[in-house]
Amino acid sequence: MRMYITVLLRCLLYVSLALMVYDYVRIDMYFEMMGRGYIDEFSVYVSTWRGTFCLIVAILLVVINIIDFIVVKKNKHAHMKEYILTEYDVADERAVVVTGKAVRFAFVFILFYTFLLIGSYMFIPNYFLDYPWYPIFTTASIPVFGLIIYLVTFKYFHAK
Amino acid sequence: MLKNRVKELRARFNLTQGDLAEKTGVTRQTIVSLEKGSYTPSLLLAMNIAEVFGEPIEQIFYKEEETK
Repeated sequence: MRMYITVLLRCLLYVSLALMVYDYVRIDMYFEMMGRGYIDEFSVYVSTWRGTFCLIVAILLVVINIIDFIVVKKNKHAHMKEYILTEYDVADERAVVVTGKAVRFAFVFILFYTFLLIGSYMFIPNYFLDYPWYPIFTTASIPVFGLIIYLVTFKYFHAK
Repeated sequence: MLKNRVKELRARFNLTQGDLAEKTGVTRQTIVSLEKGSYTPSLLLAMNIAEVFGEPIEQIFYKEEETK
């Protein structure tokens, strides 16, 4: 359950950060277009909920990390030297082995996925004009999908 | 493939998986996997298990050739 929550929060953090950056880029693009004389004026509505949401998720993550660190430290069977992130299960030696295996799978996925994404940036001039969200959200999708692959692989091997 | 007699010995010593997990410093899930043969323990865990049952490691863990 702890892992589901932290992975979900970490994914939400990346998504909300991407949304915030997208808002900023969108407005910046309008100003740039206006500065170059492509448009005379523009109107845009920016809500503060994205920033608030990102902040809440970040605070929640920090709190969960601190609580988890204390709980793991109290567990005398836990392998503290393997502890880096809350997502890493260090409950015992098998959990560490399974975590390592899941991380390897996620890493392989990230390698191939990033390769495809970089390839897709060949079209960035088109995307950047019409779809400024594309590079932002595809970049955010790398850790998000990586985390999902990690979670699924970990649960699969842990249940075996 | 590494086989073991943990399930048999645990029954003989009247220990639950949770008891053995507690004594050897791992989670119950690890003992479950160990008994199923899907997890190969570290030398330290094998020694801890051997210590609990009071038998040499090689009497508990043994190699078995995989049949193709």
